[in-house]
Amino acid sequence: MIYAGIDAGSRSIKAVLFDAGRSQILASGLIDQGVEQERLANELFEKLLKDAGLDRSQISGVAATGYGRNAIRFASTAITEITCHARGIHHLAPDARTVIEIGGQDSKVISLEEGGRVRDFAMNDRCAAGTGRFLEMVATRLSMDWEKLGEIARLSKKPAIISNMCVVFAETEIIGLLADGKPLADVVAGVQNSIATRVSALAGRVVSSPIYFTGGVALQNGMVRALEEVLGMPVRVAPRPQFTGALGAALSVKPTAKTVNGGL
Amino acid sequence: MNISQKLTLDEWDGRYEELRREGLREPSYGGPLRRHVDRDRDFRLQQLRFDNSPAALRLWNFLLTENERLHEARAKGYKLVGTMKDLGTVPVMAYSLPGVRAFYPDGAWWTPCLMECSDKLLQQAEAMGIDASFCPVRAMLPAFENGEHFPKPDLVICSTGAVCDDFSAIAQRLEHRGQSIFWWEIPRRRSPVSGETAIQLPGNLSAPEIQVACVRRELERVAKALGELAGKTLDDDALAAGIRVANKVRRLLNELRQTVYSAPAAPLPALEMLVAEMLVIHFCSDREETIAIYEDLLKEVLERVRRYQFVIPPQAVRVFWVNPVADLRAMNLLEELGGRICGSDYMFTHALDLVPEDLPPLEALARTALADPMVGSAFERAERIVRECSDNRAEAVVVSRIPGASHCAREGRTIMEIVRCKLGIPTIELEIPPVCDAMLPSLGSRLQALVETARARRTK
Repeated sequence: MIYAGIDAGSRSIKAVLFDAGRSQILASGLIDQGVEQERLANELFEKLLKDAGLDRSQISGVAATGYGRNAIRFASTAITEITCHARGIHHLAPDARTVIEIGGQDSKVISLEEGGRVRDFAMNDRCAAGTGRFLEMVATRLSMDWEKLGEIARLSKKPAIISNMCVVFAETEIIGLLADGKPLADVVAGVQNSIATRVSALAGRVVSSPIYFTGGVALQNGMVRALEEVLGMPVRVAPRPQFTGALGAALSVKPTAKTVNGGL
Repeated sequence: MNISQKLTLDEWDGRYEELRREGLREPSYGGPLRRHVDRDRDFRLQQLRFDNSPAALRLWNFLLTENERLHEARAKGYKLVGTMKDLGTVPVMAYSLPGVRAFYPDGAWWTPCLMECSDKLLQQAEAMGIDASFCPVRAMLPAFENGEHFPKPDLVICSTGAVCDDFSAIAQRLEHRGQSIFWWEIPRRRSPVSGETAIQLPGNLSAPEIQVACVRRELERVAKALGELAGKTLDDDALAAGIRVANKVRRLLNELRQTVYSAPAAPLPALEMLVAEMLVIHFCSDREETIAIYEDLLKEVLERVRRYQFVIPPQAVRVFWVNPVADLRAMNLLEELGGRICGSDYMFTHALDLVPEDLPPLEALARTALADPMVGSAFERAERIVRECSDNRAEAVVVSRIPGASHCAREGRTIMEIVRCKLGIPTIELEIPPVCDAMLPSLGSRLQALVETARARRTK
């Protein structure tokens, strides 16, 4: 059976088609988030079907996750990112005991038992300082691509200390640091460290190894280093980390008689 | 098994007419719930889901008419005592005297939620120098001055010492603005050290004799002040009689909690249970009516359990809830997402325990006051939570926080760590402001994740 998982995140929508029989991802893709997220998700879904040479009748079920999961009405199930990232990472790396996911508007630390079951989790969604939103703000302020920040951070010799707990105030602080002539690389690395520190505080005292980093922020150079430094443990990046949630959603679909055509 | 639908306010309009046609008998404060929106601007009711029973209607009407009741009491010549911070002990004393009604002015912290901030109390408190970094209890500051939410008390009694910092600041600001306050001190509870005599307190706690004696002396002062207000000495006989009635209230609530939380599915929603539990600390300014309301609710719940009629499906995840919420909507949300309450610690567990009746009354009350979870360590509070989670087969724990409430700044994490360590069940901490509409998606995500996680853990 083939299942679809859609992760409607705050920054982008990710989707995966998964062949349960062969335990194989058939197609995956990503599109920027927008106001009409159901339409965007549907377009992405159609594209993946086309890429995989499938039609809707061959899809046995669709599950949605992410903050916009309830808006994806053609999905038969809506599941939280906690469950989906846990299932996704367990499929990809069964030895994982901790998952760190830094999303556009929240961040999560998920503790897993042997067998992949969620033991406990913590989420930060009240403060942007521990989320990808902080990086976006910096990228916007510096008029550069979000991805470019990682490359710049690699050049840092002495990361700046961002002392403000709030992104709004931190923005002022960053402007001040740059105005004082602090190297850009050090400022960006300082922002990464600040995010990592927030996530580490979220994780609390109990973080078991191996730790896997999922979500799009895991792709940014420097973020893994920042997390490893604050946690004092190695952090592994999940394969294609931006799709872990969507994969987990696909793995969470329970076969139903309802076809996806019925919901569209 | 039957699952009853909870009602919106609109649906309650129809239900009320139906009940009236069937001969509903109501107390003097009865009437349709709608009037609290139209007349009192309790707009939040429009966003809530209610139990459909006449017993629940009576509970809500009782809760939402306290201001009227207090004004009526004053008109009849009753003395009104505002008791603050201490949760549950001073009202037992006040109601032991004839012609005295006690209430909690600090209960005004729920007003911004009920009125969806249309009361402007929080903004007015800010203008009085107590801003959003303080607990919503700050709403009582302007409420004391504008007289719209409760009548000005004849005597204000407030505990000090082991109370949260922000409450202390707010109460002091109140005093500085001219409100006379009778302060009594309660020390932070500690364990007896070597050489000290240990006194057993309710709730499996203990304290050194010297602390109990200190609180007893303070309560003697409170008793004297109450007696002077009432024009009658508050003697041991009157206090003992008051304790017996308070214990009757507590027994009824405990039976209600036991029935609801141990039933195979919830026979009463979390929201009505929260409101019902809160009555035990202050009797909503009418102790006898509180007893009648508990009896009504208990009868309804027992009948539902007998008929196998519930309000939440049996597969709902059993959640233990710690601390009251600033926005009542959160209690509905948990149930909408597949959870049910199986136990609670709304910060006044000492008011659930019976006041010892085999001790001199003030000694018994002193021991009860010292068992207050907020005057002891977070570790002791967590231990009780762990015990009750085990007894009630909790599958998950929610620790809710009220923004700015400093007494729980660190407590939440301590409780969660101890619960995780001893029970291994998932826990979350939620910060819920007085109106949480903007946060509903993220609150919902967290609660849904908790429910999913707990449910997944059912399968080995």
